[in-house]
Amino acid sequence: MIDRRTLLKSAAALGLLGPTHLWAASNRQSIAAESADDLPPLVGKLSVYLGRGEGGLYDDIVAAIEKRNPELELSIRRAPSAALANTLVAEAKAGVSRADLFWSIDASSLGAVAAEGVSRPVPAAIRRHIKPDFRYEAWAAISGRLRTVPYNPTRLDAAAIPDDIMAFADTDLKIGWAPAYGAFQSFVTAMRVLEGEARTRQWLRGVKTQARSYAGELGVVMAVARGEVDLGFANHYYTLRLKQGKPDANVDLALTRNDAGSLVNSSGVLLLNDNPLAANFLRYLLTDEVQSYLAREAYEIPMAPGVALPQGLPERVQPPSLDLTQLADLKPTLDLLRETRVL
Amino acid sequence: MTRTPLSYLPAALAAAAALAPVAVLVWMSVGADLLIDGRAFEIALNTVALTLLTVAGAVLIGVPLAVVTTYADLAFRRVWVAVLAAPLAVPSYLGAFAFFAAFGPGGEIEAIAGLATPRAQGLAGATLVMTLYTYPFVLISTRAALQSLDANVVDAARTLGLSLPAALLRIVLPRAANGIAAGSLLVALYTLSDFATPAIMQLDTFTRMIYVEYNAFGLDRAALMSLQLLALVVIVLFFESRVRVRRERPGRILRLPLGNGVKAAALLLAGLVVLAALVLPVAIFGAWLVREGVVGFEPAFALNSAYAALLAAAGAVILALPVAYAASVGWIGRLCERATYLGFGIPGIVMGTALLYLGLRLPLLYQTLTLLVLAYVLRFLPLAVGAVRSSTERVENNLVGAARSLGATPGEAFRRVSLPLILPGIVAAAALVFLEAMRELPATLLLRPTGFDTLATYLWRVYEAGYLGRGAVPALALVVVSGVALVLMLSGEARRRRLTAG
Repeated sequence: MIDRRTLLKSAAALGLLGPTHLWAASNRQSIAAESADDLPPLVGKLSVYLGRGEGGLYDDIVAAIEKRNPELELSIRRAPSAALANTLVAEAKAGVSRADLFWSIDASSLGAVAAEGVSRPVPAAIRRHIKPDFRYEAWAAISGRLRTVPYNPTRLDAAAIPDDIMAFADTDLKIGWAPAYGAFQSFVTAMRVLEGEARTRQWLRGVKTQARSYAGELGVVMAVARGEVDLGFANHYYTLRLKQGKPDANVDLALTRNDAGSLVNSSGVLLLNDNPLAANFLRYLLTDEVQSYLAREAYEIPMAPGVALPQGLPERVQPPSLDLTQLADLKPTLDLLRETRVL
Repeated sequence: MTRTPLSYLPAALAAAAALAPVAVLVWMSVGADLLIDGRAFEIALNTVALTLLTVAGAVLIGVPLAVVTTYADLAFRRVWVAVLAAPLAVPSYLGAFAFFAAFGPGGEIEAIAGLATPRAQGLAGATLVMTLYTYPFVLISTRAALQSLDANVVDAARTLGLSLPAALLRIVLPRAANGIAAGSLLVALYTLSDFATPAIMQLDTFTRMIYVEYNAFGLDRAALMSLQLLALVVIVLFFESRVRVRRERPGRILRLPLGNGVKAAALLLAGLVVLAALVLPVAIFGAWLVREGVVGFEPAFALNSAYAALLAAAGAVILALPVAYAASVGWIGRLCERATYLGFGIPGIVMGTALLYLGLRLPLLYQTLTLLVLAYVLRFLPLAVGAVRSSTERVENNLVGAARSLGATPGEAFRRVSLPLILPGIVAAAALVFLEAMRELPATLLLRPTGFDTLATYLWRVYEAGYLGRGAVPALALVVVSGVALVLMLSGEARRRRLTAG
């Protein structure tokens, strides 16, 4: 069992501070993604906690893996990522264990579970297939996602959008957000870490007066496109997916610079026991097939080296210097969101 | 001869099980910081406001419709009564889901008809949806009260010089007041318990915040809020126990000669209500089905719903039999029966929270179908007890005594006399529990085994992910289940009427 401190130390030792060469398709020490054809067949029972799989796309991946492995008996528990992280924490405290792996759409929920010391280290043989900047000991990064500011170009000019996330609280722009969504909560955690609790509280209060809440970030982007709000806070792929279906949709992407507003987050998998089936399932998620699918259909940033990036991904990204493992401290964020009545 | 009836044992067991969730909640909340801050106050205020406004809305819709459908000679009166009672069988989350998708900028109404509508959300949206699906409680109870009034009394008032509206206000209304009150209290109970409507309409009531706390694993705070909510439920139940519908000597039912204008207004109100509560949701779900087909839906969801509901129905009937029997033999039994009624007052989200915690302490039960079925049984046991009791009351001891005196063994007397008499009640009990469990959402959300999605939880998943169109099949399936529930409810009503008349 690993305690939290060693975990953070080892993460730091891996040199994870500041994901800078993110889009570099291949760089040092990377090994091309495996093909699903080379993997052992998955046989037996596997219990997966899936933190808010993006509607149909993750289901399609699961369906494809099941189709390829008819002897795999998969049972999946789907819920918002923070809810499942908290379920796993409560299970750990009660000494109950039900899941073999936790597949979550955001790093903070993975970190929160890892902090309980219930995770198994990602086998080195698997870690080699992940881009070096995103190699962690406690969990395996699967796909990257970028925080963005989708805006409606018919309602405001790109120049009118602040490039400092903190400045949004001082504008009179109408803003859409999805406070119950795990990725949004990670973004607030990043802000807490980077700007401090007091400024974050002030920001939440300021934006709240001009914000409208949505159940998810797809809803945010759709609200921007139909002009219900001027702009929103959402992961990059929602906009790209909407543009794919409706190329003339009134939504474009803006980015902030060096702050929580342009955080690069990651979905990932955390192994909860030594079941080799769980590790092999993880290998499937890092195959060329799944990674290409995620990039092509879901517009997510592949974490396996050598896989083509999604189309339309913003180029000049200046993410903040922040170790994703620092996002694990979710509870103060939830407290803050509740205190400011955002949640 | 006094002896402790054997049926007391299982009845006491059922009563203890019904009380267990409350005990668990108290135990959980010990040590939680009692936050009486602005936030807690606001949540309580929202809950009370939603409840009061919904009751007001239900009375405003239910009472006039009750008067018209009972006293006026409408064309197709029986059809109107059935259709107007129908929303009761539809779980309000289907309505909330449809209203959420239909209204507002970018909603289905704008997309299909090009009409700009305001968004249905907050206190106003939640009140609208809750009213549309709870007014039948008032309609039904008021109709029952109005039917029991004797028209001769009104005629007497009229001959003494009272105008018709004045007679309605001063003679009919006061005597129907208890019926209206009984319906209103059921509306209040239902509104306090409802989870999905405030959640979808983003109104921070107790039920919604319990779910938020559960997601943030503030389980102790969820327990504390559950107890606060239960306190409100107890207040409603207290008033409910005080309301007695007066029985009058049956007489002639009043007939009102309504002018065409009044009739048209009444039909317009009825038409609007039916349009909003039934036609709109089905139309939206139908449009989705045409647009998106059956993508993502697995028949397993329906099978899971039915399987768990079937087990719940069996469990509830097995428990209900001794409880109903015990209640008919002595006061201890009646006490046990009262205790099992508690489940009805415990909102699903509260039941879920309590049993989830219990599961974490007793890992053997955690995330098992057993625990989920137990939640259904405890929650819907009162329905089963009620249905069984209404039939056991018909088994008079002298019937069994007659059979025994004619030489039947106790077993034979039960098999050939009692059982045929109570069988319809048992079937009705099982069906009621089955249909309620099929549609249950909040407790299922918390307690379902991993990989076990039901129609309701799949619908919820679709809502949370924002892929509303994928909800078409489960939503329509739940509408069908609700339709069956309605037919059952109405035929039960008809049977009871035949029995009391005969």
